[in-house]
Amino acid sequence: MGEQITYTEEQLLTLLQGQSRQAFNYLYKQYSGALYSVIYKLIGDEQTCQDVLQEVFVKIWNNIGQYNAQKGRLYTWMLNIARNSAIDKLRSKGEIMKAKIHTGENVVNSLEQRASSEQSTDTIGLRKMVNDLQPEYAEIVQLAYFNGYTTEEISKTLNIPSGTVKTRMRRAMGQLRTIFGTKQ
Amino acid sequence: MNIKEYIESGLLEAYVLGALSPEETREVAENIARYPELAAEVAAIEMAAIQFASMDAPALPKGLEDKIWNSMSTHAANAGGDDEVVSNPKVIPFTPEYRKPVQWKLAAAVAGLVGSLALNAVLWNNKNDAGNTSVALTARMDSLSAKQQQLAALVDDYQKAKLMMSDTGMQTIVMHTMQKGHPMAATLYWSKEKAEAYVSVDGLPPPPAGMQYQLWVIQGGKPVSMGVLPNSMANTPSIQKIGMRIESGEAFAISLEKAGGSPTPTMEQIYVLGKA
Repeated sequence: MGEQITYTEEQLLTLLQGQSRQAFNYLYKQYSGALYSVIYKLIGDEQTCQDVLQEVFVKIWNNIGQYNAQKGRLYTWMLNIARNSAIDKLRSKGEIMKAKIHTGENVVNSLEQRASSEQSTDTIGLRKMVNDLQPEYAEIVQLAYFNGYTTEEISKTLNIPSGTVKTRMRRAMGQLRTIFGTKQ
Repeated sequence: MNIKEYIESGLLEAYVLGALSPEETREVAENIARYPELAAEVAAIEMAAIQFASMDAPALPKGLEDKIWNSMSTHAANAGGDDEVVSNPKVIPFTPEYRKPVQWKLAAAVAGLVGSLALNAVLWNNKNDAGNTSVALTARMDSLSAKQQQLAALVDDYQKAKLMMSDTGMQTIVMHTMQKGHPMAATLYWSKEKAEAYVSVDGLPPPPAGMQYQLWVIQGGKPVSMGVLPNSMANTPSIQKIGMRIESGEAFAISLEKAGGSPTPTMEQIYVLGKA
């Protein structure tokens, strides 16, 4: 990812509380891609997504004091803000896609989209490996990560025990870790 | 709790993706704070999750970062300025009552010009002042953010130390001075169960040039090297994990050796020693 300095979550929190430009630069560099991607998978229109991303960063910035480490990772907190802001935007626009969020219909769409979208040369290899994830793993990651389903909701939607949902999550993330070289 | 089973259950993955109920989330957060292995696992999961999502994102326009930053600065500025808006401005009707003579107009124009020049001079001065202030502020900001980074690193060290010390299986061994007349001490934290140890040498003086502290564990009466300690650790409050597994030992010692370490400790250079 070309980033020389990486802060731990605690360091980043301290930095963010100082509200410096440097802290913002880091925040943006490190998380804009992932958060944007989450928004993009829900909304799809680039201009709207950029507006939402802007709202998300403003919310993170203004509410960092309310982040509570007892309620999850900083990244998970930011992820929730991104998903909720995207869903709010869809609601406010009264778009039909709203319905899709709750039926999981876009799982298939976005998997297809992922396979056909433009690829930069350095990610082709990685993307190919990611596309090779077994569908039942990819589906669960998609629902939890991008659609914000809880394990309970996934369990009901796919009609599998919630323990199985979690172990599939473990296997799916394990494969992603092998792909991205972040094995412990 | 069986750490391995806990990790294999997929709870941590669900935690990172935000897919757990509030109760489960709280529970996992507590366990992560208690067990460093879980924290490391979570960090690795998160890293993969971020990379995975980032891979699929369309490119963001170049100016967006600045645009967002500017919008945030505006938010901050607006917050304080609202009360300055006058709700009922007084309206003064402009109705010329008579025609002024031409000379009067000329005089007014000259006066206006002189006034404007004087104002320009004043504004120009102010602008220079503002420029200087802004340079000074930027410098101050830079030094503050450097300081902040150091503090963040320190907080992180303390956090790690806290996590480690809250582990109930962790034994604290204080190593006392072996050099008469030189009060020194070092502390070793040892979890026999996990065969893990951490050392802190903030009570030792910085080693002389070309020398390094070396940690020893005494096993069956024999000293076994646990490696040399970075010189930056001496005399500073930092804790370092020992790279090797320590499953047994009667005592721990630190000696001053030539940089890189020695195969056996130099007996008269043993600085501190503590029984397990």
